[in-house]
Amino acid sequence: MAGGRTAFFTIHPAPGLSPSQRRRAHRDGPVAVAAHRPHRELLERAGFIDIDEIDCTAEFATIARAWIERSEHHHDHLVDLIGIAEYERRQRERRTQLHAIEDGLLRRSLLTAARPKSTATTD
Amino acid sequence: MVTREEHETRQKFGDRYAEDRTDVVRQIERAVIGSEWGVNGYTTVRQADLLAELLHLGPGMRLLDLGSGCGWPGLYLAARTGCQAVLSDVPLEGLRRALARADTEQVADRVTAVASSARALPFQTASFDAVVHTDMLC
Repeated sequence: MAGGRTAFFTIHPAPGLSPSQRRRAHRDGPVAVAAHRPHRELLERAGFIDIDEIDCTAEFATIARAWIERSEHHHDHLVDLIGIAEYERRQRERRTQLHAIEDGLLRRSLLTAARPKSTATTD
Repeated sequence: MVTREEHETRQKFGDRYAEDRTDVVRQIERAVIGSEWGVNGYTTVRQADLLAELLHLGPGMRLLDLGSGCGWPGLYLAARTGCQAVLSDVPLEGLRRALARADTEQVADRVTAVASSARALPFQTASFDAVVHTDMLC
């Protein structure tokens, strides 16, 4: 085996967005959508090799939709559990993200990469 | 030193991880993700299994899960593949739940939790064979 492998899912702005679309992607995506360079480029700069990227956006949309629908289905129970304000905040956040996905602004990708043995590190 | 971002993360997710895991909450998670591991994100069981495959995880392998929450997917991967796992995150409540689940899953001897930001990990170079995270570094 090489010096180690990484595999991770990440939500990020779609490539080729206009500045205003990019701002919306950052605003409407999860709070950690902050990278301003493609992850492949960041991995290359950090010395990773054998970088591969798989688009998982379709499944991302399906799961986002399912969270909204299942939470709506159990509305009364969830409101009892977390309160109406928190329930509505979560649903609003999920719908905003789903719209950003459906509008082509947000994507989710699976990235894999390896670290050459001589430069293997965890930082 | 705790940054403002870490403080906010600890507050937001700590409160969420402390919520009751009622039967209905488990039912929702099972319907959406296919699991009952306290997941509130987008990584399905099928995708977690894909991570195991891509990282060639198995007994003796050392896995680091960054932003592990309540143990998804790092703890699940340890239970499923036999690898060792270090779970790392900022909110303590998630790590507590993960370690309790490690006992239940009978993998406590192969799972460690470290309260740390991914920006300043307390590990030596080449401590792990594999690193995973899900929607943390966006």
